[in-house]
Formats: sequence, C-alpha cells, structure tokens
Amino acid sequence: MGKREVVESCMDNLMIEMVSAYCNQFYATKPELAARRIEAIGYHVGHQLSERYTMEHPRFSDHLEAIKFICKDFWSELFKKQIDNLKTNHRGTFVLQDNRFRWLTRMSISPTNTDLSQDSSITTIENKALQATSMYLYFPCGIIRGALSNLGIACAVSADMSNHPACSFVVRVKA
Amino acid sequence: MIVCIAVVGHQNNPLYLQSFTEADDALKLHHIVHCSLDVIDERVNNPKKTGSTLNETYLGLLYPTENYKVYGYLTNTKVKFILVTTHLDVRDADVRNFFRRFHSAYVDAVSNPFHVPGKKITSQTFAERVSTIVKSFGLSSAV
Repeated sequence: MGKREVVESCMDNLMIEMVSAYCNQFYATKPELAARRIEAIGYHVGHQLSERYTMEHPRFSDHLEAIKFICKDFWSELFKKQIDNLKTNHRGTFVLQDNRFRWLTRMSISPTNTDLSQDSSITTIENKALQATSMYLYFPCGIIRGALSNLGIACAVSADMSNHPACSFVVRVKA
Repeated sequence: MIVCIAVVGHQNNPLYLQSFTEADDALKLHHIVHCSLDVIDERVNNPKKTGSTLNETYLGLLYPTENYKVYGYLTNTKVKFILVTTHLDVRDADVRNFFRRFHSAYVDAVSNPFHVPGKKITSQTFAERVSTIVKSFGLSSAV
C-alpha cells in the first residue's frame, strides 16, 4: 500500500512540475505554446502506452470498440478505474466522463478570500484559477489523442471540468 | 530455420529488417517482405466468412515461395511483423509463440523515449533480444 502512495505522489509532483515549468519558465508569455507542448508530450506518451496495452487484445473492428478499449482497459491501466460514463452522438463525437479524475483530486479551485468587497474581482480570480487548472488537462487530452491515433483514429480531444472533481473529455473524430 | 524477420509500419514503411543467414541476399528478402504486404492487405480487407480468424492478430501462413514460407502478424496499431522461414517442418504453435515474444520485444523497443515513432528501430538491445528469440525458435519442440 505504501509503495503505491509513493508512486502516485511522484506522478502528481511530476505533473505539477511539468505544467509549472512550461507555463512559468519556458513559455511564460505564451500560454498557448505551453499548452501545445504539454499536449504533444501527452501525445507521445499515449502513443507508446497504447502500443503496450493493446498487446494482448484482438484487433478492433470499428471506432466504437477502440473508444470502449480506451474507456475500460486503457483507463484502468492508467488510473486503476474505468471511465464512468460514455456518451456518443453516433456521428463521430464521444464524451468520456470520469467522476473522480485522479490527477485533479488534490486540486482546489475555490478562489482566495482576499477581496470580497468587489464582485468583479471574484469572477476574475475564479477565471484565473480555472485557467490555471485547465493547463493540467492538456496532458491527459494528449494521452487520449496519442492512443487513438496509434489505433488509426485521427481525432481532436478537449477537456471540460466544470464540475470538479468530475472531468469529461470530448473526442471528435476527424472524418 | 528462420531466414529473416521484418517489422513494417502502418504506412508500409520498413521499421526493421534482420536476416539470419550468411548469404548476402538482403535485396531478395526485401522483395519477399514487400510482396507479402499485399497478401496481408488482402487477408485483412476480405476476411474469410468462417469467422474465427476475423480479428486475430496472428495471420498464419501468408504464402509459400519456392524455398521459403512467409508468416504474418498484424498488431492493433497496424504494425506488421513478417517472418520468413525455410521449408523444414515449422509448427504453427512455434510461430505463434515466436510472434508473442517478438511483439513483447517490439513494445519494449518502441517505449524507448528516444525512439521516434515512424523511424527505423536502431536499438542494440532490441537486436540482441531478437537474436535470442530466433536462436530459441523451434528448440522447445526437441524436448
């Protein structure tokens, strides 16, 4: 049990440091470039992980089976649980919802209580906090995109965490 | 007796080709591997309706040439492994076993952070593991 805690906290710290390094040091003035770099790292990781985790699997016959693989086997290898909810519009868009996304459970996005007198500053503080936490979502988006593209499905992945700690990933398959 | 083993990527780009005979016939082996890619495409796009082989990774004997037998294996990520052997009695179970171990070595080679996906595999460790697997091919049947 202790071993897993050490591994998990190492992973959490690595994530925090990576986002902080890219946002504050390398691309301090260009958050879009930092986001793209982090997503590209996730893409490479997803690419290699999908190679490893599809080894024992028979081949997928269509897109839905590949997405189901991501929701069940791939997600449980990464986060020890499956995706809680999968929705699709049967026209190439899939929404994967995780009710307790592991990498964000330790994060609080409640704004600080310094300036309660002015309403506008609360919303800007909330926006900044939300923007900061959204940086942490680029890495898992990249992982999903890398895994799917290695299975032959080109797509775009975005994440939405309006109800913390639940997090949903929207996958749009490019036709 | 294994003559050569090849790895071909999903855009039919060669990722690894290693021959295990002393003769210098790399060109002929390239040609055989290239022809077998067509057979794989055909096998995958027109599956036999007697369904159990529909989604398996192991494709079995692709085609026999005058001196060689060619076996294929297609992974989920559309990477193809091609094995060329001579005509001695090669058992199906041995080839399946070989491909399983080769797949595992391939996954380890690709997980190398310095490996660029789509480029040739240049890892020395991978080459050594492959030659170990090749050496132990078919030896278990002697027991």
